[in-house]
Amino acid sequence: MTEEPYRWLVAVANRREYVRDQLRGGSPAFAVSLPDGILLLGVGSGQSKVFELFDRHAMGGLGHPADIEKIRQAAIDAAHTEAFTRAPEDVSLRRLVSFGLSPQLKTNFEQIFNAPFLVELLLTEIGSEPEKDLLLRLHFDGAFQFQMGGVQVAASQRDPEIAAQNWLKEAFNGKVDRNKAAEHLLQAWWCLMENKPFGEGMPTESERQAGWRALTKGREVEMGWLARKSPRAARYEPLTMAQVGL
Amino acid sequence: MNSVTPIAGDFLSLLAAHKLAPLSSSVSAAAPVQTQATTVFAFHFADGVLMAGDRRATAGNIIVTDKVDKVIEIDATTLLAIAGVPATAFEMARVLQTSFEYYRRSQLQPLSLPAKVRALARLLRENLPMTMQGVGVVVPLFAALDQSVTPAKPQIYFYDPLGAQFQATGHVASGSGSGTIRSILSFQEQHGKPKPSQMNLKDAVRFALRLLMVASEFDSATGGVNPATQTYATIKLLCPTGVEAISDEQQAEFLR
Repeated sequence: MTEEPYRWLVAVANRREYVRDQLRGGSPAFAVSLPDGILLLGVGSGQSKVFELFDRHAMGGLGHPADIEKIRQAAIDAAHTEAFTRAPEDVSLRRLVSFGLSPQLKTNFEQIFNAPFLVELLLTEIGSEPEKDLLLRLHFDGAFQFQMGGVQVAASQRDPEIAAQNWLKEAFNGKVDRNKAAEHLLQAWWCLMENKPFGEGMPTESERQAGWRALTKGREVEMGWLARKSPRAARYEPLTMAQVGL
Repeated sequence: MNSVTPIAGDFLSLLAAHKLAPLSSSVSAAAPVQTQATTVFAFHFADGVLMAGDRRATAGNIIVTDKVDKVIEIDATTLLAIAGVPATAFEMARVLQTSFEYYRRSQLQPLSLPAKVRALARLLRENLPMTMQGVGVVVPLFAALDQSVTPAKPQIYFYDPLGAQFQATGHVASGSGSGTIRSILSFQEQHGKPKPSQMNLKDAVRFALRLLMVASEFDSATGGVNPATQTYATIKLLCPTGVEAISDEQQAEFLR
């Protein structure tokens, strides 16, 4: 099969379909850059969605727990080795993804006798100001997009993901505090989980609020906060619902 | 591919897999003059543990600098005070800082207190060849929170140069000026009013600064505390909530 280009293309296309099918229905993850830091949010049912990677770096995503774990471990190993051999300031998301995670994901995806990673990920790096915050979207095939500041969504389906991202951009247009941001992200999470539209026909705010509250019962809302200013090198702290007024 | 598989959560084995193991240098017979000398100490006070150190580094009879921080925050709940050769001691601190954070992030739980205490003992043992040849001797003090009890309890440990670890019940001191300090601490603990363990923050900081002033009178390798020249110590606290630093401004205020 590998010596026949046409069959290889078909095999890769089949894998893409297989991975997307496996990820369908996965609980989305979010990251938003705010004046005081970056908020990451995910809603899990028994598995973690949001993780600290290094002093200024965190990750969220959906997918198979074992695959998320492999990527997380690889990122943590690379970041700490880099920090020890050079300096913590030299650990950058760009290098971590461009030269480490992305090639590995691409290799596993295209080598059709290897198992592909079943993941859709968000990685973040806090900057000295919101415009320098780096939000990175990393896909199961190794493709990635960088973005400075703003909001990023990782969902299993591309069109709803973009719709949710556009709606959140609109909602965060102007100054939004952390508590309001968390509430908006949960509304977007509910819409994505329930396949609600983000444009015309979108549920009202009160419906969205009631919706996420009902749907998160029995699940764990996980939030991580990368603080822009801190006396400590490690900027990450997990947040509880009470800490964001929910 | 690396032939050695790292142990889960063990940063040193990860470094070894990349052939980056620290503290593995051999010693030549023509070793340079070592930068060293110190007075560092720690004692329990009413709110937790106070750890302090002077800021002088010397090489023989030469004062190299009076701006060294010898009390180092390893993580949010751990302090290390270094006495001995800074080159080795700072590298040990860096290894510990990265190792503890690496374990916490990769294993999604903090390292236990006994494991932290042993991690430093392991580094001292790995430094044994340097210690035995009289180059790179480090005799550190260590303080960390015991989070297995509620509220978390600050504990103090000290080591010998070969890596043996001991828990200090009240106070401990290390470095060339430690003899003087130890006598005063012991006297104050037995006969003082208040005893160090009963002191509030202000009294504890003032006591620590005065200890360093006395140590510097008897040990030329210990930098003193002199408000007139804005020369202060490095003082850090380990309270049930974690590590806090006492700034030069706070020290000046407490000394008034």
